[in-house]
Amino acid sequence: MYRKQVRRRRATLVLLVVACLVMISTSFSEGDDGPLHSAQNGVGSILTPLQEGADRALKPFRDLVNWFDETFDARGENEQLKEENQELRDELTKAQERYEEGLERKKITDVTAAEELASLERIDATVIGRSASAWTQTLQVDKGRRDGVSVDDAVVTGDGLVGRVASVTGGSSRVALLTDQETAVTARVLKRGPLGVVGAEVGDPDDLILELIEGGEEVDPGSELVTSGFANEEGLRSRYPAGIPIGEIRESDPGEQALQQRVHVKPFADLDRIVHVAVLGRGSGDSG
Amino acid sequence: MIFTPRITAAVGLIILAAVLLQLAFFSQVPLLGSVANFVPVVVVALGLLGGALPGVVCGFIAGLLIDSALGTTIGVTSLSLMAAGYLAGRWRESYDIVSSLVPPLLTGALTGVAAATYAAIQLMLGVDAPVSLLVLREIVVQAFLGTLLAVPTFPLIRRVLRSALVDDARPSRRRPSRGMLGVTA
Repeated sequence: MYRKQVRRRRATLVLLVVACLVMISTSFSEGDDGPLHSAQNGVGSILTPLQEGADRALKPFRDLVNWFDETFDARGENEQLKEENQELRDELTKAQERYEEGLERKKITDVTAAEELASLERIDATVIGRSASAWTQTLQVDKGRRDGVSVDDAVVTGDGLVGRVASVTGGSSRVALLTDQETAVTARVLKRGPLGVVGAEVGDPDDLILELIEGGEEVDPGSELVTSGFANEEGLRSRYPAGIPIGEIRESDPGEQALQQRVHVKPFADLDRIVHVAVLGRGSGDSG
Repeated sequence: MIFTPRITAAVGLIILAAVLLQLAFFSQVPLLGSVANFVPVVVVALGLLGGALPGVVCGFIAGLLIDSALGTTIGVTSLSLMAAGYLAGRWRESYDIVSSLVPPLLTGALTGVAAATYAAIQLMLGVDAPVSLLVLREIVVQAFLGTLLAVPTFPLIRRVLRSALVDDARPSRRRPSRGMLGVTA
């Protein structure tokens, strides 16, 4: 009995497999209007209305599943878009930084292109630290002795002088700003104006004091001030090369100017927001 | 499985419903980068409940219906489903289903076998385009989805065909006889 069942099972299996192979072979060999294709089309046409009905009946379920799927997809997509947005924002920020740095470097180039400064070595640097006290107005920049920076080198931005190198290590330097109490710059008012020394007024980063050396001449508000590059016969010379813009004379009080021989100066450079600077290395150049 | 006309009709309806569900629902719901293949799940269930012969015949018929409905090379789907149905039936004839995990796991594996067989036949018949290795992923995903689909499908089909199953005969509702001691006079 069991053997008979096994034989029947095997026979059916072989029969159906052969049937499949014959059908496959026939479907390749006969034309589209052959008997097998006609039978297939017939069964297909019977199934079509059933399929349409099932399709219509199952559409709400399909939509439901697709809704869940799309919701999950949308959530995933949302996360992905957020990440992409963040990456693009970072890239934009970097591009803006590069653009601003380029602008700043170009302005510095304009400043350092002056004839008096042409012989100096320009060392581009970036601010990496800043003092937090009004009493010490200093910056830390990322270039040092290895890059050719020396103590007392002038430091400029695209707007003009910001200070000098106060100390230097191998890879970084400390810059004393114009508003630092230890800084003093010999300066002259443009258009053959009087000489003086520019110093800080502690606590007010927007104000510099010009102590007039040649006190006889009156200084007009709005007049521009540049480094004088002072040097005398005894070998005493200014730390700063001549011709670097410093600032402009504020509205001065004639009484203060007459009695104390000093006027207030507004620095060109925004000393609170310095990011990129250039150190004017004297190397083999002449300080003027 | 004892095939009466009523059970044969029920099996036929199950196959037809599976084919229609496949064409109208599962094929149109993408899951995990593929679609679930419901027909082998049903064929394997029928093979597990009925044996190798019903498994082969059901696979053959289901494949013919699918190939006819889709207009694909007739016989290819039948061959792949026959493989799954036959192996399921042989399992049922050789081993006992000792755990409720066996049907889903076996269904998953045999769904993978059916997908692999279908792919192999297609490759043998010749494919005009380059074949991506993603077909392997599709086989794995279909096996996984088959495992999940078998969890509700197998008990449901067993319930529908219970009256024809030799192993699943409904327990008698008659009270056991108490013999002589139960006679109260």
